[in-house]
Amino acid sequence: MSATKEFNHSSPRKRVVVSGMGIASAIGVGKEAVWESLMAGTTGICKITALDTTDFKIKIGAQAPVEIIQEKLAKLNRRPSDRTLDLTLVAAHEALQQAALVGEEPPFENQDIAVIFGTGTGPSQSLGIAFESFFEKGPKGVRPTTVPRSMYNALSAGLSLQFKLTGTNYVVVSACTSATNAIGVAYRMIRDGYAETVVTGGADAFLQPFFFGVWNNIPALSKIEDPLKACRPFAADREGTALGEGAGVLVLESYEKATARGVNPIGEILGYGESSDAKHLTSPDVEGQAKAMQMALDDAGLSPTDLSFVNTHGTATPGNDGCESQSIRTVMGDAVDGIPISALKSYFGHTLGASGALESVATLMSLQHGIVPSNLNLENPDPECKVNLIGSDPVSIKRGPAMKNSFGFGGGNGVLILGPTH
Amino acid sequence: MSESSKEEIIMAKLKSIVEESATEPVDLSNFGPDTTVEDIGLDSLTILDLLYDIEQEIGVEVEAKEIIAFRTIGEITQLLVDKGA
Repeated sequence: MSATKEFNHSSPRKRVVVSGMGIASAIGVGKEAVWESLMAGTTGICKITALDTTDFKIKIGAQAPVEIIQEKLAKLNRRPSDRTLDLTLVAAHEALQQAALVGEEPPFENQDIAVIFGTGTGPSQSLGIAFESFFEKGPKGVRPTTVPRSMYNALSAGLSLQFKLTGTNYVVVSACTSATNAIGVAYRMIRDGYAETVVTGGADAFLQPFFFGVWNNIPALSKIEDPLKACRPFAADREGTALGEGAGVLVLESYEKATARGVNPIGEILGYGESSDAKHLTSPDVEGQAKAMQMALDDAGLSPTDLSFVNTHGTATPGNDGCESQSIRTVMGDAVDGIPISALKSYFGHTLGASGALESVATLMSLQHGIVPSNLNLENPDPECKVNLIGSDPVSIKRGPAMKNSFGFGGGNGVLILGPTH
Repeated sequence: MSESSKEEIIMAKLKSIVEESATEPVDLSNFGPDTTVEDIGLDSLTILDLLYDIEQEIGVEVEAKEIIAFRTIGEITQLLVDKGA
C-alpha cells in the first residue's frame, strides 16, 4: 500500500524527542506506579465509588485515586477544582519536572513553550455542575464563571497559566483520537520549525452524573459486572469497553534544544499519520484506519518489519477490535505475524480523548524497558482478530519503534510512530 | 437583632463563601474586619463567584466595582448591611 500524501522534505525536518512524561490514572499516579501495575497485570477498573451509580446500568469504571491527586495539587499550591483539570496539572507537573523545565513548587518563570492538548469531553465536572444547576434553578443557577471554567480550552489555558507557558495554547477535540491528534500536531510544529518545545497529551474524566449518563446508554460499554473481567480487548467473549479517567502528558522538544539544555531524551516521535473515514459517525473503517497507519510509517520512513510492537486502540468493543485487526493486516501483510500486538484499555479503562496520551506514555515506557505488558482477559482470543496478540505474560521486544493507534467517533484516525532514544 | 450580631453573621457567611470559592489554599485563621481582598488571594474570577454567592446566599446584589472599591472584609460587610442584608 502506498502513502496517499507526498511529504515535503525540501525544508530540513527537525528531530522531535520526548524529554518528559507524566501520567495520572487509575493504575497509578506517576510513571513508576503505572509501570509497576502494568508489569503486575493490575487493572484500574473497579466498582465506581466516586459517583452514586444506583440509577445507572453500568457500575464499573477506572477512577484515579483522589487523595494522591489532591496531595500533588497541594504542591502546586492548588485546591481541587475541575477533575479533568486536576489530573492534567498533576501529570504535566511530573512531565515538566522530568524535562527539567520547572521545579517542585511554584513560582515558575515564563517560558516560550506551547501547549497543544487533547480532550474528548473537556472540563466535564464544571460543565456537569452548570447543567445540573441550570435545570434545578434556571438561568439564575449558573455561576458567572461557568464559561471560563468549563470551556474546553480551560485545560490548555490552565496548563499555560499554572506553569507560565507563553507559546500558543489550544485544545484538539476529536473524541477518542484527541490526544493522539494533539501529539501529532505538536510533533509537526517542532519538526517543521514552528516551535522548539510543546507540552502535549490529553485528559478526560467521566465521573460526573451527566457525562457518565450519556455514556451509560451507549451499547459500547461492557455489561460484565466483574470489574476485573469486564474489559477484554481482542477476546472472542468481549462485550465492550469500560470507561476510565486520566491524563497523560508529554514534553516534546527539538533534539537540538533538548541536548543544548543537557537533557537526555527518553524517546522520540518518528512519524504521524491521520485520516477520516467519511463513512459513518461511529462505526470504524478499515480503509480509513489503514490510510493513517500507512501515512505514519511513510512519515517515519519505516516499513512494518521495523516495528517492535503495536499498541492498539483496542477498545474491547465488538466493532473496533475486529476492524483494527484487519486494518493492521492490510497495512503490514504477513509481517504482522512477527509483531506483538498490545492493548491497554483493560488496565486504564477507556480514557476517551486522553487514551492516546496515556497509552503513548506506556508505549514509550515499554520501549525504554524493552518489555510490553500482558493483554488482560485474553483467555479466548477472537479467531477473527488475525494478529499476533500478546498473551497473559509480558513479552520482551526487539529494540525498535512502536506504532500507537487511536480511532474516534466521527471517523477520525490518528497514528503515531514512537521510537526509543538512540 | 443588633447591628454587631448581624455583622458577625454576614462575616461568617463571607468566610464560608471565600472558603468555597478559592481555587488556591487560603489561610483564613485571621479572617476578620481588617482582612483585605489581597490577603485572601481573590482574583477577579473568584470575586465574580463571590458576588454570585453573596447574591444567592445573602440576597443582596453587589456590583464588582463596589467590592473592588472596598478593600477590607469589614468594609464589604458594612456595604452589605447598608444594602439591607
